[in-house]
Amino acid sequence: MKVTFPHLGSMHIFCKAIAETAGIPYIVPPETSRKTLTLGVLHSNECICLPFKMILGNFIEALQMGADTIVMVGSGPPCRLGLYDLVQKVILEDMGLHYRWLTIPPRLTWQAIWKNHEETKELRKELSARNIFLFPYGLWMGWKKMMACEALEQLAMKVRPIEIKRGETQKRLKKALSWVDEAKTPRVLEEAIQKGKALLQEMEQDRSRIPFKVAIIGELYTVMDPHINRGVEQKLGELGVEVTRTSWFSTHIMRSLRKNKADQTSERTRFFEASKAYLGYDVGAECNVSVGEAILRSKEGYDGVVHLMPFACMPETTASGILTKVGKDWDIPILTLILDEQEIEGRIQTLLEAFVEMLEWKRRAA
Amino acid sequence: MEEKGRLGIPRALMFYRYFPFWHSFFERLGWKVMVSDGVRQKEKIVYFEDSCLPMKLLVTHAMQLKEKVDHLFIPRLVSIHRTYIMCPKFRGAPDIVRLATERKVSIIDETIDLRKGGISLLQSFLRIGERLGASRQESKKAFREAEQSFSQFQKGWTDRINRLPTRQLFEMDIATPPAGRKAPLRVAFIGHPYNLFDIDINKDLLALTKSLGMEIITSDFLSEQEIDREVSGLSKEIYWSSGREIVGSLFHFLSGGVDGVVFLTSFKCGIDALLQEFIKRRLKVRGGSSIPLLILSLDEHTGREGLTTRLEAFQDVVEQRKTENI
Repeated sequence: MKVTFPHLGSMHIFCKAIAETAGIPYIVPPETSRKTLTLGVLHSNECICLPFKMILGNFIEALQMGADTIVMVGSGPPCRLGLYDLVQKVILEDMGLHYRWLTIPPRLTWQAIWKNHEETKELRKELSARNIFLFPYGLWMGWKKMMACEALEQLAMKVRPIEIKRGETQKRLKKALSWVDEAKTPRVLEEAIQKGKALLQEMEQDRSRIPFKVAIIGELYTVMDPHINRGVEQKLGELGVEVTRTSWFSTHIMRSLRKNKADQTSERTRFFEASKAYLGYDVGAECNVSVGEAILRSKEGYDGVVHLMPFACMPETTASGILTKVGKDWDIPILTLILDEQEIEGRIQTLLEAFVEMLEWKRRAA
Repeated sequence: MEEKGRLGIPRALMFYRYFPFWHSFFERLGWKVMVSDGVRQKEKIVYFEDSCLPMKLLVTHAMQLKEKVDHLFIPRLVSIHRTYIMCPKFRGAPDIVRLATERKVSIIDETIDLRKGGISLLQSFLRIGERLGASRQESKKAFREAEQSFSQFQKGWTDRINRLPTRQLFEMDIATPPAGRKAPLRVAFIGHPYNLFDIDINKDLLALTKSLGMEIITSDFLSEQEIDREVSGLSKEIYWSSGREIVGSLFHFLSGGVDGVVFLTSFKCGIDALLQEFIKRRLKVRGGSSIPLLILSLDEHTGREGLTTRLEAFQDVVEQRKTENI
């Protein structure tokens, strides 16, 4: 058995840590590249959303490298993400690739367990008692690493706009993340986190700069994965913008575990409440949160908002229509970037440069 | 009964299934129902958001009506089935229209969510009645009568499609004419009801089909069990009711009973895009079907000529197969 999983930001570090600690053989799909996307595009059609194509490409590449078991997070209605597995399975079957598929249900319900029953029965035969015994420890290790990655990335977002040598933060962040990835025991991991944080903080910085504050909102895959959004976060940072986002891997895990109960004051709840001025119902996925976040960020004095969505994304299309009005009503510049498989990296750079220039005018006029 | 005012219903989206119901409910409550005209020219489409054509047409039709009516009726259709849901765009549709009309017209956007149980539809319509100033008794009576006339309407639906011009399908005062000559070919048309019956979307493909000597049947013709049979064994439940209907009826018709199947999709429709891939792949994996299948993707740039060519070619294939089989 060789397990594989899709890419999503630094999620592979989390999955790898679990598999490694529990002693389950795994294959990390090659880093998402032009080839990955080409494979995904070739085997789907133009109006299917970009994350579908990226994930499909990851799976094809991993299966060709010898993986045989796909682990994929499931999701529920109303967005298309919940049916990715249904369609991807039949595509892979049509391509003549052999695989086994394990969907992690978004919520543990009896129906979800029942649907997974057949697949897990097969898999359980191949797992040793040691694997199962170590699995909770693996989960703990993975979670620790995930939180470490997020802390490092958040730190990088803070220092990137004030770096003196352009690109230095990204280099250091990569190094720090790889230390976290390589750590095998909790003690080494703790050291790696401290070392990584120090590495970023010790970088040469120009503290006299006052960075613009911009929030990135939108569909979670496009917000979280730099390959899908062509490094919007890094590009903005290097243009002198302090970027904030509230969509993290841990946010969505906690949300699906319903851990946010105590969190009635959580940011997501606040955003959702704020969106009620424009939306009378929960449209699904991130739509309402996107709208609400744009409103609240304007109130909090942010300079602008960048809204990311895949082409033809169902909930975010509604959000983007509403955001054009929100931008006017609340006087906050909103840049919507619709992402698809086209080679748009250069165009995004130009758009972001123009956006930041506009923020500069706005600041000077104020 | 005296006329209480004018109530506008945009000729878009689920108008193409539920208009008979809505019409009779509001007429019975004493409201004059106004329906928007067609758009006909693509220059007239209002591009408020970058959505699929049916959604853009909703905004366009609402704009046509906004000055002529007291209320616009755009229900928030969350679910029209006891288990399955609608496309997420329907949930935000009234909000989009409200922003596009700059909040200048009153919109009746009562939520309809049938997952909540058997009487939730009645409750939604009671609330709608309340907003229009009707008493519970009046609303209840109107609802029952609307239900009756709707089921009456549905019984004659297949005949109506085949015997009336597409524009007149939802003209309530026009009766279905008697049967004419029997068409030699039977073709199933699959897709969201607005893709099938909105001539602004499909350039009146149905008229063209009929003129080529084909009889049209739709998924309304099938029972829920027949549709479910093809989709219930999947590894994951398709949770959109329209998606289930499309996949279920498509596989049903492809297994026999008709001479050909036409699937109409809208460009940028999320549900259609995903399920279209599923349908194609599943057919291939299962070894294909002997019944010809034509998939047409429609948007505002679709021309009548292009559709004619494809439909004529399809007809040739269907006829050829039929003569070979005899």
